[in-house]
Amino acid sequence: MNRRHALRHIALISGGLALIPSCDFSKEDILAAYENLKITATQKALIASISDSIIPAGEIKGALDLAVPDFILVMVNDCFTKENQEKFTAGLEAFPEYAEKTAGKKFADLSSKEKETFLLQGIAITGDENTSEGKLLAQVGYFLSSVKRFTIQGYMASEYIQTEIIPYSLIPGEYNGAVLIADIQNTRVNG
Amino acid sequence: MANLNLRSTQERTYQAIVVGSGISGAWAAKELCDLGVKTLMIERGPDVKHLKDYPTTNMLPHEFPHRGQLTEKIKEENPVISKCYAFREDAMHFFVKDAEHPYVQEKPFDWIRGYQVGGKSLLWARQVQRWSDFDFEGPARDGFAVDWPIRYKDIEKWYSHVEKFAGVAGFKDGIAHLPDGEFLPGYDLNVVEKYFAETMKKEYGGERHVISARCAHIHGSAEAFAAQGRGSCQNRNLCQRGCPFGGYFSSNSSTIPWALKTGNLTIRPDAVVHSVIYDEAKGKATGVRIIDRLTKEVEEFYADVLFINAAALNTNAILLNSTSSRFPNGLGNDSGVLGKYVAFHNYRARVSGEYEGHAEYTTSGGRPTSGYFPRFRNVYKQETDFLRGYAAGFSAGRGVGPNTDGIGMDLKNNLLNPSNYGPWRVGSHMMGETLPKESNYVALDGSLKDEWGIPQLKVSMDYDDNDEKMVKDYIEQMTEMFTKAGFTNIQSADSKQAPGLDIHEMGGVRMGKDPKTSMLNANHQLHAVPNVYVTDGSSMTSTSTQNPSLTYMAFAARAAHHAVAESKKK
Repeated sequence: MNRRHALRHIALISGGLALIPSCDFSKEDILAAYENLKITATQKALIASISDSIIPAGEIKGALDLAVPDFILVMVNDCFTKENQEKFTAGLEAFPEYAEKTAGKKFADLSSKEKETFLLQGIAITGDENTSEGKLLAQVGYFLSSVKRFTIQGYMASEYIQTEIIPYSLIPGEYNGAVLIADIQNTRVNG
Repeated sequence: MANLNLRSTQERTYQAIVVGSGISGAWAAKELCDLGVKTLMIERGPDVKHLKDYPTTNMLPHEFPHRGQLTEKIKEENPVISKCYAFREDAMHFFVKDAEHPYVQEKPFDWIRGYQVGGKSLLWARQVQRWSDFDFEGPARDGFAVDWPIRYKDIEKWYSHVEKFAGVAGFKDGIAHLPDGEFLPGYDLNVVEKYFAETMKKEYGGERHVISARCAHIHGSAEAFAAQGRGSCQNRNLCQRGCPFGGYFSSNSSTIPWALKTGNLTIRPDAVVHSVIYDEAKGKATGVRIIDRLTKEVEEFYADVLFINAAALNTNAILLNSTSSRFPNGLGNDSGVLGKYVAFHNYRARVSGEYEGHAEYTTSGGRPTSGYFPRFRNVYKQETDFLRGYAAGFSAGRGVGPNTDGIGMDLKNNLLNPSNYGPWRVGSHMMGETLPKESNYVALDGSLKDEWGIPQLKVSMDYDDNDEKMVKDYIEQMTEMFTKAGFTNIQSADSKQAPGLDIHEMGGVRMGKDPKTSMLNANHQLHAVPNVYVTDGSSMTSTSTQNPSLTYMAFAARAAHHAVAESKKK
């Protein structure tokens, strides 16, 4: 294992929090685990906080308890095209200013309820791609809807949900091609 | 480690050699071993042992870092194989990556390959519909390719033979052009598929059938398969990972362990076949020359009888590369047809829709198959402006999804308590017969070689006007049928996908009556080198509309028995 791999390995097992110094000391260091993205620890914390608003902890665990922010970054880093990665990171970079301008204060200073309302609006925004302001809005919308999509996927396909809450069955049982929906009895899970 | 080359000729001599361990090769090996023949099975890829070498088989969704999805890096590095529906995070390791084994696409061809013991039998879609005389008589009736030298009666008992061993779930549907077989209990169609089947029967006077597709899965009692160490299918639908129950048929779970138990089988993995050795003095093939995949050492193996079942296009490549002064253009290629008249299945078009009816129903559990539309065009007589016809897959499904609107605790509770039943979704895809033509061919490239110094294969296959007309007709007909059934939001699409992605490439070493226009005789032997048998996809004279693997199995079993009967005559 060479040094770069070793460092990356440490970064991976520590959830991406190990920092590898970048050459530009005027800026915050970037997280090495997500080599295709230029993500800082502050930005990762922001993504974490957004995913926490999307699926908060309650009677059962929430997104933050299940390392969902890491999953989001792994998916964006590995499974997004370069173009979509750029759109995502542009939206991420623009988000703090967008929040201050739209909500009147920093995202972190909003109450839980305010965060929810604000994010719901943000996820739905579409911008006019022909103006620079509209493009930025579209990028923020893309960033937020991507975070929401991966928060849902990472949460629902987590070990916790799939083993303790709604156990995934490797053996789904014999097919029944005519099940009356009225006969299905599910125990309600309270989040 | 001993130098393999120093081993004596005697040590490297067997009674039979089978090249290839996929569905047809392993069937040939199993039959030969059952008949007491000391057999060497050669496989170019690494060994994959049943149970032991299925690394992902019991993994849960969360154990895959990308939850099954391919990364951009993998997609960029593998533009061809990434198109295959089964090439996902859980089974990537069983497919050939683009960079590993380059080939020349004179025309676009998506070549889907599995280089390991078991070949693509680990990965196949497990659909096993018999062919009938409506297929075997096709070329003669419609005037294309050459006449098949065999008919259904020649192959019927071999279909039964392989079905009983492989395990085939299905119903006796009584359809003349889709003969019934030796079936385990079938998988029922669901309520909407049944409705559609009944509607079609009514609307088309009993001429259009929708049935449960016959599949190579053990359904019902598995007692008859206990001797193979296989159990019932558990409806996991994770087949491409390798099945820990042996629920579906693969070489790995079935024919190979069976053949090993006879004590007559030797497997030589990691051996890339360079060519078949032809002895001019003896006037027959005497063995094969291989190159070790890892050490690159050349080695020869000898036998009285050879089966070349390397998968359709690779069997062509081996024979083309087996040159001698007797056969300067490839083994057994006196006619010049070797590599030509290759064909495939036309899988380009899909039709989908929704159904608002039967809204009170959904489904539960899993099943390894779905509905099937046997061919209905030009069956008894020519009735369209294109030759032959198409079969189609058909399925209806209704899942329950969560409401993903909203955010916070509302969203969380919606996700954990899914109750969103949309309409039933219905879908169909075509499986069209294509016509083998001289202009569709494979050949060895004149300059490019692979890692083992073997010429790369050049593939030149394309659709023609007949295929275009068939795509159009399929979309029209299926749209009409969906409409008659009251389906809504009917959409159709022509993917224009390149040949190859159907994974049903066939021909190039076709069977025929006349040595001047074909490579193989009615017993699957090379006309000019009768101790060489070929029973994989390359041997197909025409393509039918039915999935071909079952027919390869039946051919392999039939040919193995023929080879043993011949050797006893001597």
